[in-house]
Amino acid sequence: MKLNIEGLLVYFPYDYIYPEQYSYMLELKRTLDAKGHGVLEMPSGTGKTISLLSLIVAYQRAFPLEVTKLIYCSRTVPEIEKVVEELRKLMEFYTKETGESNNFLALALSSRKNLCIHPEILHANIVVYSYHYLLDPKIADLVSKELAKKSVVVFDEAHNIDNVCIDSMSVNITRRTLDRCQNNVDTLQNTIHKIKETDAAKLREEYRRLVEGLKEANVARETDIYLANPVLPDEILQEAVPGSIRTAEHFVGFMRRFLEYLKSRLRVQHVVQESAPQFLKDIFDKVCIDRKPLRFCAERLQSLLRTLEIADIADFSAVTLISNFATLVSTYSQGFTIIIEPFEDRTPTIANPVLHFSCMDPSIAIKPVFQRFQSVVITSGTLSPLDIYPRILDFRPVTMASFTMTLARTCLCPLIVGRGNDQVALSSKFETREDFAVIRNYGNLLLEMSAIVPDGIVAFFTSYVYMENIVASWYEQGILENIQRNKLIFIETQDAAETSMALEKYQEACENGRGAILLSVARGKVSEGIDFVHHYGRAVLMFGVPYVYTQSRILKARLEYLRDQFQIRENDFLTFDAMRHAAQCVGRAIRGKTDYGLMIFADKRYARADKRGKLPRWIQEHINDGSLNLTVDEAVQLSKHFLRQMAQPFRQEDQLGLSLLTLEQLESEEMLQKITQIAHQT
Amino acid sequence: MDEEPERAKRWEGGYERTWEVLKEDESGSLKATVEEILYQSKRKRVIESHGQVRLGMMRHLYVVIDCSRSMEDQDLKPNRLTSTLKLMEAFVDEYFDQNPISQVGIITTKNKRAEKLTDLAGNPKKHITALMKAVDTVCVGEPSLYNSLNLAIQTLKHMPGHTSREILIILSSLTTCDPANIYELIKTLKSLKVRVSVIGLSAEVRVCTVLTRETGGSYHVILDESHFKELLMLHIKPPPASSSSECSLIRMGFPQHTIASVTDQDAKPSFSMSHLDSSSGPGLSLGGYFCPQCHATYTELPVECKVCGLTLVSAPHLARSFHHLFPLQAFIESPVENLQGDRFCQACQAELKDKSVFSCPSCHSVFCVECDLFIHESLHCCPCCIYRQTAP
Repeated sequence: MKLNIEGLLVYFPYDYIYPEQYSYMLELKRTLDAKGHGVLEMPSGTGKTISLLSLIVAYQRAFPLEVTKLIYCSRTVPEIEKVVEELRKLMEFYTKETGESNNFLALALSSRKNLCIHPEILHANIVVYSYHYLLDPKIADLVSKELAKKSVVVFDEAHNIDNVCIDSMSVNITRRTLDRCQNNVDTLQNTIHKIKETDAAKLREEYRRLVEGLKEANVARETDIYLANPVLPDEILQEAVPGSIRTAEHFVGFMRRFLEYLKSRLRVQHVVQESAPQFLKDIFDKVCIDRKPLRFCAERLQSLLRTLEIADIADFSAVTLISNFATLVSTYSQGFTIIIEPFEDRTPTIANPVLHFSCMDPSIAIKPVFQRFQSVVITSGTLSPLDIYPRILDFRPVTMASFTMTLARTCLCPLIVGRGNDQVALSSKFETREDFAVIRNYGNLLLEMSAIVPDGIVAFFTSYVYMENIVASWYEQGILENIQRNKLIFIETQDAAETSMALEKYQEACENGRGAILLSVARGKVSEGIDFVHHYGRAVLMFGVPYVYTQSRILKARLEYLRDQFQIRENDFLTFDAMRHAAQCVGRAIRGKTDYGLMIFADKRYARADKRGKLPRWIQEHINDGSLNLTVDEAVQLSKHFLRQMAQPFRQEDQLGLSLLTLEQLESEEMLQKITQIAHQT
Repeated sequence: MDEEPERAKRWEGGYERTWEVLKEDESGSLKATVEEILYQSKRKRVIESHGQVRLGMMRHLYVVIDCSRSMEDQDLKPNRLTSTLKLMEAFVDEYFDQNPISQVGIITTKNKRAEKLTDLAGNPKKHITALMKAVDTVCVGEPSLYNSLNLAIQTLKHMPGHTSREILIILSSLTTCDPANIYELIKTLKSLKVRVSVIGLSAEVRVCTVLTRETGGSYHVILDESHFKELLMLHIKPPPASSSSECSLIRMGFPQHTIASVTDQDAKPSFSMSHLDSSSGPGLSLGGYFCPQCHATYTELPVECKVCGLTLVSAPHLARSFHHLFPLQAFIESPVENLQGDRFCQACQAELKDKSVFSCPSCHSVFCVECDLFIHESLHCCPCCIYRQTAP
């Protein structure tokens, strides 16, 4: 159908449209009109991707000078493939409707086997790839630096974008890294010796270039061709590489010295935490390494590797990592912390020293993206509370909106179970974690649910340790045996192969009517990215509030930083983080309007307004006062009723006019009125 | 089950949330209630069943009753098993009333096994006795879909091609314990043209959805006891015959009923052939139905002659299944505002309060929803049309 969105003609490749899709496109158009950034939350399964694509493509066609390119960043390869599939549908629709073959070029970068290096790709109208291509400075430099300023960047499934940013800027150094780096440096030295004998001119040429400075790069950046690389700040480009590391041998010697220093730092008996300036002062005192050459390390190494014509960069990952670390630590005096731990907290007897160079400020990595591109859209099914993202990513959005799911029948049923049948309060909080009464009641909840929920149930625990304890305890109490009469039990482990095997068998058991329960962990592989459509997940149980492990030093440092820099209280952030993971977990079960599922929050703390209020609006609006602080029995009664209601025949006609619209229905005055209520501005 | 099943007593019911039913949504019609959807499908059913389709009038139906642990659940009163068996008794009665030339068999499944309660037969009494006895069954273990279907197939596959082969499963459990891949069995069912329908007592199970979709049956889940009865009674109507089923002429005998008085000297008492295999009851009688082909005696009809294999029916039996073939036309739905004159239902004489009314296409009489359903489901003819035909 052809839509008119505030004067813009949008081709939409389906005969029906959800009201929220229309609303979403309205908001998106306003964002593009204002040339600003946007934060949009819309539940999964409501056709976010196609709404985004149709609107932005239409916009590009209508205003080719305003928006030249769409950069669509998604998280995983299957998601990228889904985007490409939708895009293909859209393009076919364009060809059919307009009768002309389209001159749109779209490009998807997923893996090396699909990589294309044809120069024409620079002119592609749409680029689809993974986050890392834009955020990770190591890859971004290769792939993304030549993208035009007038692009629209979309981050899909962006609820974890701050963690991606932080991971891309953080470095962990272990003994192993240092050993491999040592080997790298040795190889470099040998190669340099060899080259010197055969082709000394090459090294001289490099030297000359370095004297002149990194002028080329600077020129490029000033003329606005490249995306700024956060590892390589602007100031560096204006200077020449300092003399101490200009020749190849000197640089290798310099790296050796740096390496020895790091080795000595790893020989610690107790935990050390220090800031970047402290670290720099210490390195100057101990081995007389100045800040300036350190800053050039990354660039100098790249230059050397190029000069030596080393083909397989992957072999030199260790030395690259170290040099990146050197540059980062000497560049940013704020936003980073260095923590050296002699052993892991869980195994205090085994020495395994790690140097965490940890980024605490996600805005550092994403800043160039916000500065460079005229519109950046952050979207996901779970972004609540919306206002926290602009704060931690440090940008100012022009639109922030959360959309609800219009439903012809209430297909999700969130229940907060706060008490067992014996009135014992259910909670995963630290004090009651070992309490048998709580564990027994959790087991009872799962047992009761396994008897009334058909096919698949997914249960999430807050951590692997917690899950192991509970399951062991259930086994001793005989609860597991009872559950197995109703359903088979599968468990997610930290082993990826084992988990995917369990997942496969789980789906088989759901398919052939035996029924199954998958026990998994919030923040684990299953909780992110694996969908439990229809019968694969008729109920999701969330045992406890999935707070992050708060004793970790890195987290403590980050919380402190957030408090000092962004005025976000520790508790607010922790709750926000826990709730977004909880929302992700329970959101796994509902992947569309014909789907239905129970969402059971088994912890009394969810009933509190500060927790509940941080759930996405599309879940929150179905939690009424009657579904708070239930006992197991009450929850079972409600679930039974819900499941019977949902099992009644439901056809597309029942949705039409309510949650699914034809063009005529959409254009009716009454419906347009209703649509304005779908978006919730914050 | 003469009267409407009484709603459970307040204290027996689950946690009811009556306030939620009353609550008007602030977004108005955005969220249509499930009841509304159900009502629509009810109407649809009436409409759907009208159309000139060939019906499988000779039915061979196996009813599989789940007797697993979950049947002890007390959400139907007094428990699922008792409630189901009671409804089944009514079902068997009604079934033979409406389908006099069809047969039924009953299978129970529990503890991963399936066993026959009664064989395929056309005598309602035998089934009802068996059902009454089954109330004392102990419900244990899991049901097995595979074993029950397999057991039913063993008999059904020998039934002649022109008959309709059906299986109706009443499944309470949400799990099934199968010895082999059920999807293979579904393929077999499909190739044998066995129609499998399921009535779920608790929730929608995936494998049943696939099973019914593949074999062309229907899948319903009950809301409460009255809905259960309604769903069960749906299966009384003969299903449309699959287009590929064979056509054949069937020989039928219409035996004459002779009543001989005890004083009559010529009368010879004879044994009813249907009592040969059942040990109970006196088989010796003076009169009865005599097979026109071999003169065997039967005390009741319909029956298949034990001696010569002829199907024996009475004319009223055939006439009763007649209305399935020539159903009453669907009434036309129109909003109540368009109605001129008195707003009264022609049948029950009550005021028309609903937003839509139904009028007969031939005599234009107006009826309410309830009467429309009653006319189509029980009367099978429009009372006003009949009146007009006879009055002048």
